[in-house]
Amino acid sequence: MILEIINASLLAATPILLAALGGLYTYHLNVFNIALEGMMLLGAFLGVLGSYLSGTWVIGLIFGALGALGAGAVFAFFAVYLKTDEFVTGIAINMLSLGGSTYALRQMFHVKGAFIHPDIQSLPLWNLPFFGKLPWLSFAALGLTALVWIHLYRTPFGLRLRAAGEDARAADSAGLNTARLKIRALLLSGALCGLSGVFLSLGYVTLFAENMSNGRGWIALAVIILVRGNPLNALLMALFFGFFDGLGLSLQKVNIPSQFTQMLPYLAALAALYFYSRTKRKTL
Amino acid sequence: MLEGKRGGYGTAKRLPLIGGKLSYAVRKRIFLNIRKLLPALLGLPAAFAAGFIILAAQGYDAPLSFTSLFHYSVFSRFAFFGTLARSVPLILTGLSAAAAFSSGCVNLGQPGQLILGALAAAALGLAVDLPALLMIPLLLLAAMAAGGLWAFIAGWFRHRFAMDEFISTLMLNFAADYFALYLISGPLLDRDMFSPMTKAIHSGGFLPLPGGFPTAVAVVLLVFCLVWIFFHRTKTGYELKIMGTSRLFARTGGCRTDADFLTVIIISGALAGLAGGLLIMGGQQHRFLKGLGANYAWDGVMIAIVADNGLTAVLLYGLFFAMLQTGSMGMEMETAVPSEFVLVFQAIIVLFAAASRKSFGVIMNWITVRRKAGKTARGEAHDT
Repeated sequence: MILEIINASLLAATPILLAALGGLYTYHLNVFNIALEGMMLLGAFLGVLGSYLSGTWVIGLIFGALGALGAGAVFAFFAVYLKTDEFVTGIAINMLSLGGSTYALRQMFHVKGAFIHPDIQSLPLWNLPFFGKLPWLSFAALGLTALVWIHLYRTPFGLRLRAAGEDARAADSAGLNTARLKIRALLLSGALCGLSGVFLSLGYVTLFAENMSNGRGWIALAVIILVRGNPLNALLMALFFGFFDGLGLSLQKVNIPSQFTQMLPYLAALAALYFYSRTKRKTL
Repeated sequence: MLEGKRGGYGTAKRLPLIGGKLSYAVRKRIFLNIRKLLPALLGLPAAFAAGFIILAAQGYDAPLSFTSLFHYSVFSRFAFFGTLARSVPLILTGLSAAAAFSSGCVNLGQPGQLILGALAAAALGLAVDLPALLMIPLLLLAAMAAGGLWAFIAGWFRHRFAMDEFISTLMLNFAADYFALYLISGPLLDRDMFSPMTKAIHSGGFLPLPGGFPTAVAVVLLVFCLVWIFFHRTKTGYELKIMGTSRLFARTGGCRTDADFLTVIIISGALAGLAGGLLIMGGQQHRFLKGLGANYAWDGVMIAIVADNGLTAVLLYGLFFAMLQTGSMGMEMETAVPSEFVLVFQAIIVLFAAASRKSFGVIMNWITVRRKAGKTARGEAHDT
């Protein structure tokens, strides 16, 4: 029973964790990146597209990651080069990938709502002791968390990133190229969100549905803010949301309307925000 | 909060060309309004060009697609009324977002507030049966109250626990979504139907459609006037404007920022709620169907962004977006471009309008600096 819960939590936590890892880069650079949701959705769509066209999940993974990286590049072009407001750029990217994927769903596959096809190959499952059977990207995400931590806190790049986030002008006058750092951080966050999307469409399920990210990108954003940018705590927080997501699924067997159990992760986010604000008040 | 710096570049004194006989204040206002609209208007041709290229690259008949987009939205009475009806929720959610954003309140909860407003109108419309003269105002008020209440929750979280309204309004959207789904597939379900929806409300709550004209538009115009007066002619509205520029400055200047914040988030929510109520009461269905709010979810935020939070601009761009959305069906009929293309196109417009506004500001700054430098070089005194 407990192992089942761990399994379900990790499964639901993976997309949130991956997107949150992506968002960490921009968080530390003080870029208001609210495009996580959109990049994730784009990754999910392109993952299915690549897997469908080639018949292998490898191409799907590459498509998804590169496509979302492209969205990060568009973000960087507008926000860094044209100096468009980050909030506005993020909203526009979200709408662009929501509209774009919905449009492409009809234009390429001639379906509305969802695309399911036997040619779509999903991510291979690994069966590890304790965790149980999961798509391999779930385990990779755990490893990535450690890598991102090292990248942010133990490499020159991470130091520069955090310094530029702390005070961009000071960093600039110390000879760092803040604009280039921003572009890199946005590309990294795009690629990671792309992986998160691929996990959704090729791991969690094997299909693409309109707006299938369904707020997970926003939850990832909440995770980042709540853990103040620490990757290891982000892992715990993602598991916390994953737990409520999984809990919703198991509670459906009990006689509670499924709509209320589906609310749980979002209400959990509100609760987490409440506790976060309380501790923040104390420290101030 | 979105575009912090306003009036940074060459202000009105240097524009005697506009309305020479008018007073300085009026000239300045006209100038500022034009400056607000112009950059977005410059972004539009770029957005159209991008949309054109996207369609042409896929082998569609791009010119015909774009002309049918307008042909099927304004060039017949039926189409035009359709556009007007479509603009109702767009303008109201746009006003909701603009009112909040321009006051420094990041209310992204329009989708949820709209759903709550629609639910209130639907539930009350099913529960009571009154003559139209009483019922219509009652349902409108109920929709506004429900939307306002839903937004107030987020406002109260912020007020009481310092919880960021940006995240809480978003999360409340999802809660509202599932709550509505629960109601329409459970307690309020019309069991004769195959997909989750309520029964139609009592006919007293129907907004009249004389000759097909959507009277909801009249409600929108009335509300628009009230909102405009509130923001431009009242003390609270003025305080909110200051708050939008700098909250700290507003507080030190003696504005009651906490109370003002709650006021604006309730107003913002009530506007979105009203949009939901009008969706139920206007139109043809008069019932809450599954996925009701989804179509308008983020449109309000997008419109507010393109309009740079200007109220009049929201009205215009709301109509424009409604035109695109209405025309998209005709476009699909004529050139087989899936109507979802409009979703992409809207996002492109947002991106380009925002980008061109920024570049426009940079260019204006550059010109001002050049001119000042030139004057200094010629030994003229600075005008202050």
